[in-house]
Amino acid sequence: MAQNTQIDPRGPRFGATITNVLSAIIFFEALDKSTEGVAAALFAVAAVLFLIGTVFGTSRHPFGWLFRTFVKPRLSAPKELEDARPPQFAQAVGLFVSVIGLVLFLAQVPYGLAIAAAALFLASALQAYVGFCLGCQMYLGLRRLGVFKA
Amino acid sequence: MSFQVKIGLLVALVALVAIVGLIWKARTGKAKQVDSGNRVNLAELAIVKDGKTVTELSTRVTFLQFSTDFCTFCGPTAKMLQTLEKSDPNVTHLEINVTDRLDLVKKYNIMQTPLTLVLDQRGEIQSRISGAPKAHTLVTEIGNFDI
Repeated sequence: MAQNTQIDPRGPRFGATITNVLSAIIFFEALDKSTEGVAAALFAVAAVLFLIGTVFGTSRHPFGWLFRTFVKPRLSAPKELEDARPPQFAQAVGLFVSVIGLVLFLAQVPYGLAIAAAALFLASALQAYVGFCLGCQMYLGLRRLGVFKA
Repeated sequence: MSFQVKIGLLVALVALVAIVGLIWKARTGKAKQVDSGNRVNLAELAIVKDGKTVTELSTRVTFLQFSTDFCTFCGPTAKMLQTLEKSDPNVTHLEINVTDRLDLVKKYNIMQTPLTLVLDQRGEIQSRISGAPKAHTLVTEIGNFDI
């Protein structure tokens, strides 16, 4: 197997923390009709961020840049590195969830946006605070269901 | 929706995160005994180790690790089992990437990776370890082999 890109695992976790705060705000705003538009706009921003992460990987994501520039210099060297592909796959799952949320919003499904934001909140919190990559966990399950091919 | 209800829902979400996180932490890396009597088929697995196709198991304990490309803990698990293999002559570590082997994923009912099967010398599956194995789990598993 070819040598795969290795990254500091704290990078994606840092990014997930920001995503988590963002999804909490979206969730909160999405619960009220009057602020749902704001939530949808923020969700669109999240979707664009996930798209960047999906295409270019978490290191070249804006949050990855923030991590490298402002956070990493203050940390000690990482104890171990991790494969760059799992967090990149998780970005694709995040993109999928945010697109679903926006579609539900446009279809005017009640609380569709809030439910999608809640899913995003759950996944990003598990990644950020527990180190558990829900998107990665779903990989084989989705493959088995035939949702996508490799 | 009132401010209180919204805050309440957010708190409920945080609680859900805590519950899922705790369940995952408690369950991951533990061994589950298997008494199906099923044996693995090395020819079908076609595992390549150090440039050679593996045709033999350890005469004692084999840890057969299933991995994918999108797996946070597969690398660390492989490193852990390789270290064990080097320090204990009774232990063999085999790893197979099943990203493109959906047949094996279905056959061995793999829901997540890493999944490590503990095999005896005949290839009979003794237990399954889902997630990164805990160190004491491995010690217990090897201990079960009466070496």
